[in-house]
Amino acid sequence: MNYTKTFLSVVCPWNRDSAPSPTYKTKSTFLDPPWQPPMNQSTAHTPRGDRLIDREIKRSSNRKNMKANATTSSVKFSAEPEPEAEAEVSPSSPSISALEALSVHLISGLGLGLALLLANNVYSVNLVSHPSLTLLLISVIECPIVILLYSRHRKNREECSYLKAVGRGLVGLPVGALVNSLGAIALGAPVGTQYFLTTIYWSLMMSLFTIVPAVSVFGSSWKDWQRIFAQTNCRPIGSLDFMICLPAHGAIIGAWLGAWPMPLDWERPWQEWPICVSYGAMAGYLVAIVVSFSLILVRASFQHDKRD
Amino acid sequence: MLCRWSRIEYQMLQKKAEEEMEVWWRSRKWEQIRVFFLILLLHGVAILIFTRGFLLTRTELPFYSHCSDLSQSPCFSTSSSSSSTSSPNSSRCWTKPVIDRVVIIILDALRFDFVAPSTFFEVSKPWMDKLRVIQKLASERGSSARIFKAIADPPTTSLQRLKGLTTGGLPTFIDVGNSFGAPAIVEDNFIHQLVQNGKRVVMMGDDTWTQLFPNHFKKSYPYPSFNVKDLHTVDNGCIDHLLPTLYQEDWDVLIAHFLGVDHAGHIFGVDSSPMIEKLEQYNLVLEKVIEVLESQSGPGGLHENTLLLVMGDHGQTLHGDHGGGSPEEVETSIFAMNFKKPPFSIPPEFDTSSGGHNLDGKKMYISSIQQLDFAVTLSALVGIPFPFGSIGRVNTDLYALGSGTLNSEGTNLEKCQNQSELEQWKQNYVNVLCINSWQVKRYIDVYSASSLIGFSHEDLLQIADVYAQADKSWSNTTKKLFLHQNECSDSLLPALKMQIDLYVNFLTSVAELARSKWTEFNLKMMGTGFGIMLVSLLIHLLSIKWVAKQYGASFTCGDSGISLGLIVACFVVVIRASSFLSNSYILEEGKVANFLLATTGIFKLRYTILRKKMLLEAVVFLLLITFCRFTIEIGLSKQAVTSQFLNAYPSWIMSIVSQFPAWMYIAEVVPILVLILLSYLLYKTISSSYFVGIWKYMIMGTILSYMLIAVHWASESGTWSLALVSYGISRNCIPRMIYGIGLGQVSLLAFSQLFNKDKGLDHSKSLVVKTVGMLSALSSVVILLLGKQGPLVALASIIGGCCIMSLGNMEHEAKDSMSDPLAVDPLPVTQWNFLAACMFFCTGHWCAFDGLRYGAAFIGHFAPIIVIDMAGLPYTIFRFDEFILIRQAILLTIDTFGFSHILPIFALPFLVARQNMLSQKQFILMRLSQVYLMYGLITATTVTVTMLCVTIHRRHLMVWGLFAPKFVFDVVGLILTDVLICLASLFYFGRVEKDVQQNPSTEK
Repeated sequence: MNYTKTFLSVVCPWNRDSAPSPTYKTKSTFLDPPWQPPMNQSTAHTPRGDRLIDREIKRSSNRKNMKANATTSSVKFSAEPEPEAEAEVSPSSPSISALEALSVHLISGLGLGLALLLANNVYSVNLVSHPSLTLLLISVIECPIVILLYSRHRKNREECSYLKAVGRGLVGLPVGALVNSLGAIALGAPVGTQYFLTTIYWSLMMSLFTIVPAVSVFGSSWKDWQRIFAQTNCRPIGSLDFMICLPAHGAIIGAWLGAWPMPLDWERPWQEWPICVSYGAMAGYLVAIVVSFSLILVRASFQHDKRD
Repeated sequence: MLCRWSRIEYQMLQKKAEEEMEVWWRSRKWEQIRVFFLILLLHGVAILIFTRGFLLTRTELPFYSHCSDLSQSPCFSTSSSSSSTSSPNSSRCWTKPVIDRVVIIILDALRFDFVAPSTFFEVSKPWMDKLRVIQKLASERGSSARIFKAIADPPTTSLQRLKGLTTGGLPTFIDVGNSFGAPAIVEDNFIHQLVQNGKRVVMMGDDTWTQLFPNHFKKSYPYPSFNVKDLHTVDNGCIDHLLPTLYQEDWDVLIAHFLGVDHAGHIFGVDSSPMIEKLEQYNLVLEKVIEVLESQSGPGGLHENTLLLVMGDHGQTLHGDHGGGSPEEVETSIFAMNFKKPPFSIPPEFDTSSGGHNLDGKKMYISSIQQLDFAVTLSALVGIPFPFGSIGRVNTDLYALGSGTLNSEGTNLEKCQNQSELEQWKQNYVNVLCINSWQVKRYIDVYSASSLIGFSHEDLLQIADVYAQADKSWSNTTKKLFLHQNECSDSLLPALKMQIDLYVNFLTSVAELARSKWTEFNLKMMGTGFGIMLVSLLIHLLSIKWVAKQYGASFTCGDSGISLGLIVACFVVVIRASSFLSNSYILEEGKVANFLLATTGIFKLRYTILRKKMLLEAVVFLLLITFCRFTIEIGLSKQAVTSQFLNAYPSWIMSIVSQFPAWMYIAEVVPILVLILLSYLLYKTISSSYFVGIWKYMIMGTILSYMLIAVHWASESGTWSLALVSYGISRNCIPRMIYGIGLGQVSLLAFSQLFNKDKGLDHSKSLVVKTVGMLSALSSVVILLLGKQGPLVALASIIGGCCIMSLGNMEHEAKDSMSDPLAVDPLPVTQWNFLAACMFFCTGHWCAFDGLRYGAAFIGHFAPIIVIDMAGLPYTIFRFDEFILIRQAILLTIDTFGFSHILPIFALPFLVARQNMLSQKQFILMRLSQVYLMYGLITATTVTVTMLCVTIHRRHLMVWGLFAPKFVFDVVGLILTDVLICLASLFYFGRVEKDVQQNPSTEK
């Protein structure tokens, strides 16, 4: 034991005074609470970041209490807007009620369904027979829905007009498509003239699922983007974050999982690129929408309980 | 003052701690290395036991058929006409000999479409209709000359096929391993029977025959067969001896084995001008042979009663590969020709032929035959006992073609004018089938009695049932035969037909049973091997924990818990491992590895976005993966023409190549430029301050090697006329010089290991220096062997390695470095492993024996000689030096596993060397051992799942074509990985001990 102490003094001489507890040492991982270094590095130096962190701590401790409550008391689902509670969470981003969240999710989900229905019944095409046409149809129908809907909930309303949000959503569409298609090609999507159009339409659809909502809401705010897409250890802060982050991740994970039947030798038409990947993306998107909405509901009910 | 004191105290403390650490490490070092050896041992034992259970040889029975055995059978020892007691019958053994001499011309890797007219296929290809003489005879001669579609059984390698052709059995996969060593056949076989019954056999061509039958041939003219690039030696040797021998009388069976088509396929592919030239050459040879035979086939002539067989031993794919079970590889051809026209055509109810038209629109037939049936059919025709272990059936068409001469003796004609020749032939055939069935039944009985795990009881009962039925019917038929012997009626025909059907039924079901169940997997052994493998995985895991715990216990800096990186790494490894459970994923293994690598790359990209640094590295890494992905697809396109690549990419690449000759220049210049870039990089590296003395000179040697490689390629391409370097010198000397330099460098490294002189370096840096030295020593040979793709792949590996390294570091820097300086993030190790797997596929390899690049074994072993070809024109070919198996095998191994195993494993220290801020060697080496353990664990996991997969799929259709080669490659890769890890640990760890030993002495 003496030996180990010596070592510690050698390795970490500046730690000799502030002898940290072993438990602290052993638990430092990525899954740690947000006051650990990973979070600190990006946000600690700004006062706002501090505030965020404080809030986060508060919230997480609240959540722990809430969880304890939730087991005992029945969860009340309330669709009422709670402007105060939300305002407390993120003052700069627009508050969004569970009802609004429901409507956004519902409309975008229904839009997807409508596009598929329209393709099937009116144009009598489907994803398997005419993948490019169907994907184009989905993109065309989803595009106004997503951009218009999410632009309503843009951040920094005072600085950014509705039209500007719509405009940046429109700019974000091809950029997101490019990012998605590059990712797909890196993962092994076939490249060739016969796949060119399908890949473009597919990536437009993926862009609508992933990048466009975020662009419409946050614009080019790097911090928000980081929070939404790169941070696994810190949970999204507001309801809006859930609404953007979860469907985007759902679509990507769904598409990733949707690729697994492609190499199999079943010789079914739907094994072609991008059919099963699109199915996977859509399924993941829809599942994530449901999850996102239920999480928002649960949060709302917690906050409701807390106020009580 | 106080401050100073404390500093001195601190320094002393530090020194003391260091010493203690060194003592501690010294005791640990050997434990570490012992762990690696223990794992190697465990893997070795597990694989050995599993392989014994999985890749079994069929039990070869040491029994032989004898003429006298026939008395035990229910069949007539003579032919159906018992009255025939003429003198030729005295020499009769099992069946009545119907042909006197056989000429067997084997054209290795003869595809079915080389022989059959192009009208039998949907599309006419350039290589079709080249053997016109065969097609002409087959359509003109009707029933005395016929093309057969011969179906071989996998594995379709020459040695297995020769064994199958001569024994009439089903050689098993393990023989593939013996293919290059070609052991003599100990089982009863056709050649043995020929010799036993006084037939004289002459052989010429492929020397595999003399290895299989060392003492059987009366005369033999063997030529070396392994030199794949040599298209002419074997063939010219054959041609030289074939025609003169045809005029000689001192043989009964002649075997001429041509190899040119096989080698042309291996080197140039089927659709190439050398292949077509070869086929046309064969056409000429065959014309001459047939001419000679024809001229001697008159009554009393030398070849009055000769059967000519022109056959392939197996097919080949369009790229000239064979070994698996795909239709292209399995379908080959037999052309049989009897120089006497049989007086009747084959009974229609037995005729298995399919009709068609030849090029001139004449009707012609093509029959089919199983290669399994070849030995027994030929034995029946020649009249020798059937090989003991044969499970084939006397093929109707081939037997009819050969035995058409039977009736010429006319023994029965006077007895019964009404009895048609057909009926008489049938009686004879039934008797042959009876003997055939009896012999197969005997073999099955003896086999089940002597072999521990033979056929299952139910199957045996069923077989016995079928046989009993046929036997019972046979006794009725014989009764009838005897009754009706002297009177003529048509009532015999249906009975005969029924009898034939019964025997055919029996023989078919036996062959089916044997095919499905022959490979007798020993499940107990497989289970034991798999169990040991699982135990070794557990030990692996525990030892990783143990290494971490060593620190945890000693330094309170315990192991990290479950980080996200660990989860992702485990997830990805598990997915890759479980993908091997499906044959489709094994086919696309390279793409799957690439997909998962890209997934981890995207995961890393997320981190870089989060940390807002090293974005460039992450993006470069993804681009690199994309590049790999295209390379892998090009590699796959060579593997299967029908793959997605050619569908997805219209031939624009090809058109570019053909349209712009500049493209060719680029293709030749780029590798050399990259090579120069690589040497510049190396030069930059050594000009930094770490590299002193011997290291510097050693790496200069590598740069010299690179330059030599560039010169070698430049002279080889012929684009630049290098007046100074003569062709022959550059071709042989340069590669040999490079081998020499590489060997010298490696031995120098080992030597310096023993007497390590340079001390006082930073340990982290010294590790880097060592690693760079080792890699540079190995790389030149690997690049040379891989050819022009080598430098590109090397560059890609370096870039990929750098990206993985810096991305891994980033995470480490981001973490609180004090919290656990020892825990190694598993994700970079996983990425390293996957990148290595991708490199295996990028370099154009795949997990099949046809994926081996045999050409690499010949780099630096050419000797140009001038020979005179058939037409009398002198031309230069490159003959090889005497083939040295071990040297070639080593070169082949380096080529196959160079970028995927050898270099990545020796490069692994980069992962830890850069990572460490505390440059204490103990930490670095402890980490290194952890990294090596993880790397080994990842490889072992995939191999374990492959083992599980072959256990599950052992009855799968593709087991020999796909799963078994994959298993063999994985297992070899695992053992190689283990050995290399042991060597690397000795190399990189070894130094510390010396340090420790020297330190006390210096302090004294």
